[in-house]
Order: sequence, then structure tokens, then C-alpha cells
Amino acid sequence: MLGVENTKCECGHQNSVGTVLCESCGKPLETDDLSDLPLEMRYDGVARRSQKSNPNFIDRIWNFFSSVKIAIHMIVITFLTAMLGTIYPQENTFINNFDPSVYYEETYGLPGKLYYLFGLTHTYESWWFIGLLVMIGTSLVICSLDRVLPLYRALSKQQIRKHPQFIQRQKTVFRHQLEDDEEQWSDQFGAQLKRKGYRIHRDGTALLAEKNRFSRWGPYINHIGLILFLLAILARSIPGWQMDSYVTVPDGDTVQIADTNYYVKNEKFTVEYYKDEELPDKLKGTARAKLFETKAVLYECVSKCDDQLQEPVLEEVKRHNIVVNEPLKYKGLKLYQFDFDTTPRLNAVRPVLVDKRTGETYGPFELPMKDSPLQHKLGPFTLDLYANYMEFAIGDNGEPVTLSRDPVAPAFIFTVKGPGLDPAGEPYLYFPMQKDKVKFSQDTINAAVAAKIEIRVDGMENVDFSEASTYLNVRMDRALPYVWVGAAFSMIGLLMGSYWQHRRIWLRIDNGELSLGAHTNKNWYGMRSDVATALQKTGIAVDPKSLDNGGNNA
Amino acid sequence: MGKSRKTVQIVILVAVLIIGGYAIGSALFSGKDEGPLKAGSEPPQFELADLDGHVHRLSDYKGKAVVVNFWGTFCPPCVKEMPEFERQYEKWKDQGLVILAINLSEDTLTVNNFVRRFDLHYPILRDVNRKTERSYGLKSYPTTFFINRDGSILEIKVGGMTEADIDERIERLLQR
Amino acid sequence: MNLVDFSSDAFIVAFFLYCFAFMFYVIAIAGKKWSNRDPFQHEKRWGRIAFIASSLGLASHLTFFFTRWAGSGQIPTSNMYEFMTFLGMAIMIAFTIVYAIYRKALLGMFALPLTVIIVAYASVFPQEVQPLIPALQNVWLKVHVTTAALGEAFFAVGFAAGLMYLLRVIDFKGKTKEARRSQFWVEFSLYSIVLIVGFIIAVFAFRGMGYEAQFVQEQSKIDAKGIESTTSETVNYTLPPIVKPYNSDIVQMDSFLGMDAPIFEAPYWMNGVNSGRKLNTVVWSVIAGSLLYGLLRLIFRKPLGAVIHPLMDGVDPEDLDEISYRAIAIGFPIFTLGALIFAMIWANIAWGRFWGWDPKEVWALITWLYYSAYLHFRLSRGWQGLKSSWLAVIGFVIVLFTLIGVNLVIAGLHSYSGV
Repeated sequence: MLGVENTKCECGHQNSVGTVLCESCGKPLETDDLSDLPLEMRYDGVARRSQKSNPNFIDRIWNFFSSVKIAIHMIVITFLTAMLGTIYPQENTFINNFDPSVYYEETYGLPGKLYYLFGLTHTYESWWFIGLLVMIGTSLVICSLDRVLPLYRALSKQQIRKHPQFIQRQKTVFRHQLEDDEEQWSDQFGAQLKRKGYRIHRDGTALLAEKNRFSRWGPYINHIGLILFLLAILARSIPGWQMDSYVTVPDGDTVQIADTNYYVKNEKFTVEYYKDEELPDKLKGTARAKLFETKAVLYECVSKCDDQLQEPVLEEVKRHNIVVNEPLKYKGLKLYQFDFDTTPRLNAVRPVLVDKRTGETYGPFELPMKDSPLQHKLGPFTLDLYANYMEFAIGDNGEPVTLSRDPVAPAFIFTVKGPGLDPAGEPYLYFPMQKDKVKFSQDTINAAVAAKIEIRVDGMENVDFSEASTYLNVRMDRALPYVWVGAAFSMIGLLMGSYWQHRRIWLRIDNGELSLGAHTNKNWYGMRSDVATALQKTGIAVDPKSLDNGGNNA
Repeated sequence: MGKSRKTVQIVILVAVLIIGGYAIGSALFSGKDEGPLKAGSEPPQFELADLDGHVHRLSDYKGKAVVVNFWGTFCPPCVKEMPEFERQYEKWKDQGLVILAINLSEDTLTVNNFVRRFDLHYPILRDVNRKTERSYGLKSYPTTFFINRDGSILEIKVGGMTEADIDERIERLLQR
Repeated sequence: MNLVDFSSDAFIVAFFLYCFAFMFYVIAIAGKKWSNRDPFQHEKRWGRIAFIASSLGLASHLTFFFTRWAGSGQIPTSNMYEFMTFLGMAIMIAFTIVYAIYRKALLGMFALPLTVIIVAYASVFPQEVQPLIPALQNVWLKVHVTTAALGEAFFAVGFAAGLMYLLRVIDFKGKTKEARRSQFWVEFSLYSIVLIVGFIIAVFAFRGMGYEAQFVQEQSKIDAKGIESTTSETVNYTLPPIVKPYNSDIVQMDSFLGMDAPIFEAPYWMNGVNSGRKLNTVVWSVIAGSLLYGLLRLIFRKPLGAVIHPLMDGVDPEDLDEISYRAIAIGFPIFTLGALIFAMIWANIAWGRFWGWDPKEVWALITWLYYSAYLHFRLSRGWQGLKSSWLAVIGFVIVLFTLIGVNLVIAGLHSYSGV
């Protein structure tokens, strides 16, 4: 546009560039708009902050983000890309070792490979998706700021007597030749509206009735909430603000929580299943968990934490029975029940040594599966631990080997010294588990010594094993309170904006001719019925629908 | 009015640039840190005790060629490799080769017996609670990391090697 | 008779009351043109009768809901059957609220069949009370599910009004490219609704016949130690298997119209036995729905849109547009609260994270973003009326996909079962 646009209204008010309706009297300023269609009332026709005649580079960026049209485009692009992310499972749904570059191609073929190559396997962590969210956040700030301030100014200094064109080109209008006294009728009409919760402003016979202006701020409060929400989410990437890891704790064990100074002990894990009579026919006989619980103790390491040679010194800080939905909470750290494994694990046995020749029993002695003492003295006998195996087997070369590091099929080789035995000691192979004893024929291997002595466990009370392991999910989220505050703001704003509507009625009487115009930001139906009821009460019967001046429902 | 508006615009745009840049930046770079270790990346630090109670830190060996091997007595190819590493250690140690063999959280007796049986002289480190193993993202055993003098990984070898394989790699490692 | 049985009876009563209410609404609208009556009085009278019937239906439905709750000891929203019946009930609540504001009998003509279809669809799923797994035993879950469903119900009313707007304003005699395109898509929307009806009919027909088939699929897995283990999964079909699960064998199969073996096998990328069954269900829906649609076309001898269009004469399209917008504007905050905020609170309690990009969560977010785009579009010039009605219709498709499609197509934490 060449030259300076004339933005001075005939009422003498100087408007800024981009103003649609005079900020003072409301007369439409677009001189080429000679129609009598309802006016565009958005933001009360005031100029947005960003509207300027000579935009420079910064203005252009500002204007880009200030446009609702652009904002809608960004919303649409965001949900379309979010859809793409749900086609195949995302990478983060796999907890254990898995190689995405192989997995997707193996499972889904070529589409899976392309899915991986385009980075859609981590859509929601990708820079472009985050970028979209950042742009939406920017748009929320700039759009709101650009509109709320001028709108606030316009609404806080409204003129009561509006230009006839302004009134007659509202979406809800009414014209009538008054026969009664003008002042009196206006008083009456105002009183009726007052009863409906309107605030009445008078300027002679001109009248402005307004209600629920606060609902105009709803969208902006909602946007503030959303910005807070987005910032809170962003804050989670600050180191130490967020943690999400898993820890497996067998019954009775104490395990360090990775990357923290905390240790967690599982004193006892229990699982309860639904009984058959509690289940519908279809599910009878299936193991459907009803409750699982970990009796957990949280410790904090107070000294020797990083010492490789000494045991850390732990201090109990919290004790809690963790069940689903009831995590252990301590200083922002939360331990959730995630899963469990009911494979039993042998921890220790308390066997006795029996001298078969005399029938004498010695012991019992404590034999842990891991890191057992190297020597046990039992009466006249001495047991020197020579070797131990976690999962005993005979290797290819005929030598004993272990197949794993977990006590699946433990075995111990002792050198036994004592009465009637070789003074240098005789080897004795001991399997704590009965099944292994039979499988590897313990007595045959031990040969001669098996006739003299026996190491055995008497009764289950001398067996210490973990019935199950609990899987706990360790979480920490310091941004959480801000997330809720953001959500609350956003919700309050939404409610304000949706369930209340800002309604205004302008009225002027010129020589007995009544002109009435009404505007609302939502719900024209309610607007019309407000006007029609008030008119009816003052003796003017009118069908609400006839007040409609056409145009669109905004 | 014009002046203050301009300041507000610039302040907001700069804030957006910083916050948004941080968000997008951390999305761009976090993915790379978390991925499995690759040749060229930095190996995670560790601090572990050996069988004699000496503490070894990976950082102690900065500037030296280091071979970090994860092994267990329950893994036959590891068992086969260990004496081969011993021979290689004897061969190259004068040129500054360091071998750190990290045991996969086994029983003290088991490790001691093994070391005595094969008469190993390079440090055998004890990784209690599988901590180091996890930080290295181990999936199968044995796994050997060849670490350059500059502290970057030359190669990660998953699975057993022949002695010639080891020799060739160590030679390459020492030349760099 | 225990409470749960009683509640089932109340449910059947509600279902029939809805059907009757629907018929009354049709009489109220279509009957206006019948001879020797005042159209205005006729609509008022029958509209009132219909509203009473639908309100009684809702009362009965509420009775079902609360007696089942009392009888089973847990809020009936925990499986697909219970959730869909609840959604149907929520639509009736939303309809009743919107009807109370606008008093348009016509709205009932569209909202009630929607409820009837959803309630019938619910009956397809197993109806036993199922005990809850621990993760689902929380008050926030109940709050989340019910609030979200209520929000979605308002979107459903917005959809009904939007569809009515389209049927009202689209020129079904028009020959221009534009008109033809609109006609096609309206017809397509109606066809999709018929497909769902077809699906329900197919399921009930074969259930009535007692049809059964069973397949077993063997899957071999190699575990960390390199040991191969084979697991076999079986699946029961209640619809004749046109498509069998990938790489599966027949255990038992009833013959249907001489069909003794499945015709196709599901493609390899459809993992698991259940995806084969789901695909089969989709194929049957298309077949049954298309047959039904063909039958309707044979009876009326013109497109369904053109059949309904004349009924809409005399309705103010502006009112429909306003109702559609209003319903969505009322539903949006409820949906935000239920499907996002309450969902986050619950997720935070149950899993320790308020958001995990689970497919169901993502689709709730997509729905929310879609409707927020809709609300912003309404602010722009030229997006009211026709365009916004299309948006309302498409929006409900997204809602349905979030509710049902995600479970059928993508598996996530929300483990409602499918047919």
C-alpha cells in the first residue's frame, strides 16, 4: 500500500493501522466496504499489535507466528505427523536389548526398514517433532500477546453511544419505532437486562449492556496454561530432573538403583491370583493376578559409596509396601511395581556333615551360593572349599564347568579332612539341589568317600531361597508440579471461554427510532433469546429467530 | 509505544530462540549419546578393584593403548581367549599395552581358581552388580574393546577371537 | 435374581425404548407432511412423545449402569462391552442436554440411531463381568474413562448435527463436479455407517447359527541362550474364516455354504493369531454391509442421501450449524479434562509417568488437536457451515478410530478385547 492510510475516524479518534472498526464509536473504517453484511467483530475490530505499515525482518517473523492461520496449519501438521508415529511400535516400548536397525526390517519388512530410516521409530523424540511443538509454543505466546493487549484496551474503554452503522450491522439486530417515552423505556429495558446479569451503562438514551466479559480472557488463560505445560515438559530434559529406569530385586537382596545414591531391598515379594470362583467361565483356570506386592526398604548410602574395596554404609530412609498404583515415594524418587518373575533362586543352604560310620552328625553350617567362606570346621572334620560352580556341567574335555553365573544348578567341591580320611584331604562334590544330585550321580562321582561321609540338608527350614524377583520401575520427575499447574490453568481458561459467553447489547434511540445491536463471541441462540425476552418484558413481542441478521456463526 | 513494542518483540523472539534451540538441540543430540557404543565413540568410565584390592580407573590409562575384555568362566570362548591374552600381554607389554579383563560378576573363588589355573598376570577386575557391564551395553560374551591412546574406541569385537586376530588388532592399536 | 442379571434386563428395555424413540422422532419429522394435520402441532406433539421415550430409555440405561456397578462391585467401564454401552449412554446424556437447549426433534432422528448402533455394537463383545488386573483398580481410571466418554459423546452429537447439515444443504440433484463430489462423500459416510450395522448383523447372525472355527499358529522363538522354543497360540473364529491367521493350521472348522477351508491367509506382517481374526472380521463387515447397502439401494432406487434429504425440508441449516458447533464447544473442555488431564493423572499414578506416547494416548492427543483446530477454524471467515460440518463428521471418525480402531489395529496398554 502506498502512502499513509487514513485511519482517523469521523468521530475524531485516531486509530492505528489495521483497525477495522473505529476504537471509539465503532464505525467501520474500511471505506471500500459498503455492504450491509454483519461486521467482522473479532477482537472488537481493533488492530493487532503486529499490524504495521512497513514491516521489517523482525516484524515479518513476528507476523508469521502471530497468524491464527499459520497456527492452525501447525496444529494440523502436528497431528498428522503424530499419526505416523503410531503405525509401528516406537523404539521406547522395547525395554531390553534390541537393535532397532535390525528389528523393524525383520519384523515388518521393507516398510519397517523405511520407517526406521525416516526416523519415525522415535517420532516423538525427533528434532522435527519437538521443533513443531516449539513452533506451536511460540505461536501461542505471540498470537495471544498480539491480541489480548489491544482487546483489553478496547474493552476497558468502550464508548456507550455507537455509530448507527455499527449497531445496524451487528449479527443480532432490532429496529423499532417507539411510542412510549424514550427515557422511561430505556430504564425499563435496562432493568430487565440487569435482572439477567447484565451490567448497564447509560449515556442519555444510549445504552450498553454487557455481561461475562471475563470469558474473553478464557482462551488466553488457556494459552498461558499450555505454554506453562510445554515449558514444564521441556524442563524434564534438564539433567537430574527426570529419570526412568528399571531394577530387578530378588527376594532378600539389596540392589543399588543405577545412577543414584539409593539402594533398595526387597524383603518379601508376594503375588496373589484370582481364585477360580472369582473368575468368569472363560477365564477359569488361568492365572490372573489380583495383587502383587513388594515389601521394600529404601536405603541411602552415607559413606564409602564409591569405594570398590569396602561395603558401602547404608542408612534406611523409607519403608513401604509397593503395590500397583501405590509406589514408594521418597524425595521425588518413586518406585513402582512393574512386573515380577516367580522363578525361585537358591541363596544359601545349611547342610550337616554325617559320619556314616559312626552315625554322628556335625553342623549345620552356613553355605551361601555366592562368595562362601573358604573353610568350614565341623567337629573333627575340616571342609576346604576348592571350587564352586553356579550351573554345573561336564565340559567337552571331561572337566567340570559352569554354564552361567546364576545359581541354577550349583555345585561345590570340598577337600575334606578328618578321621579316617586321607590326611591330604579327599575331594567331595556336593550338590545342594536334590535334582542335580541325581542327575550328576553325586555318589558315583564321590566314589569311596561317599561311603564314609555325607553332606546333606535336613528339611526345608535349612534352605534359603528367593521365591521370586520383583521388577521395579524407578522414576523421578521434578517438573511434575509445573505440569499440573499448566494443565489446571489451561482447564480453567477452557471452562471460562466455553461455558460463559461475553454478551453485549448496544442501543440508541434517535427521534423515537430504536436501534439495537447485540454481539456475543459464542452462542447466538442464547444472545437472541436474551434480547427477545427483555423486549417482551418491555412490551415488544418478537420472535428470537427474527433478530438474526444473517452472516456466520463465529 | 513503538520503541517498547520493539523491545518486547526482540526479547520474546530471543527467548524463543534460546528455549526452542535448547529443546530442538537436545532432541538432536540426545539420540546420539544413548545409542550403543560404536567405533570412534568414547568408552564409559569405570572404577574397579582387581583381585589384589588395587583400584583401577580407565582414566588412569589415558595415553596408553588399552584392551578391555569382558569375560566369565561360564563362557567357553572367553576361557579359550584368556591364556591367549596372557601370551599377547607378555609379547606387547613393553610397548605399553594394557589389558584390563573385567570379570562378569562371578564368585571370588571361581575367579581366583581360574586365574591361578591359567597363571594370568594382567589385571583381572571385579565388576560387582554388573554395573560396568551395563554401562558398556553388553549383549553377549566375550566382548572386547580396543581403545586408542587418545581414549576413543578403535574397534569393538563381539565374540571369540583367534590368537592371530588378537595379535593383528593389538599391533594396529599400538601403531596408532 | 441377582443385580447383574437385573441390569441386563434393564439394558434390553433401554435398547427397545431407544428404538421406539427413534421411530417416534421419525414420525415427528416425516409425519409433518402427512395430510390433514398442522405440521407445527404434529412435530410438537410427537417430538414430546419421542423425547419422553428417549428419556425413559436413558433412565433405564442408567438403571442398567448403576445396578451392574452395584452387582459386580466395580464401575462397568472396564471392558469393551461396558465401555461401548457407557459411550451410548453418554451420547444420550449429551443429546438430552443439547435437546433441552435447542428443542429440535430432528436432532433425535440422528442421535438416537447413533446410540442404537453403538449399543448394538457393544453387545457384540463378551458381556461377563471380568475382574480387574491390579493396574486398573484405581478411582482415577473410572473418572478418566467416564469423563472422556462424555466429551466424546458431545462430539458425537456434533457429528450428528453436522451430518444433518450436510444432508440438508447439499444439492442432491446437482450435476456439477462440486455437487457430485459432495454427494459422493455424504453417501460414503452413510455407507460407512451401514458397514457397522452390517458388521453387527453378521456377528449376531453367525452367533445365532452357533458358527465356530479354530486355528492354531505356531511361532518359534530363539531365546538369549540360542535355544529354540515353539509356542502355539489358538484362536477361535465366530465368523466363517475367509482369512485365516498367517502360517496357521485348522483345528476345527464348521462348513459354511460349502466353504470348508479359508480362502486367504493373512499377510506375514500381521503378527499374532488375533490380527488374522480381526482382518477376517473387517472382511465380513464389508461384505455384510455392502449387501445391506445394496438392498437399501434396491428398495429406494436412489442414493441414501437423496432419500433422507427431503425429510430435512424446512429445517434451518443455520440452527444445525449452531447446534453442531455448540455441542463440540461444550464437549471440548470435558474431553480435555477426561481424555488428557485425568488420563495423565491416572497414568502418573499407575505407571509413574503422565505421558508415554502409547498409541491410545497419541490418538487422544490427535483428537484433541483436531478439535482445537476445528475451534480455531470457526474463528476464520468462510469456515462456518458446510466446511465446519465436514470437519465435525471427520472429527467423529477420528474419535471412533481412537476408541475402536486403535484397539483393532494397534495394540497398546489399553487392553480392551476385540471381536
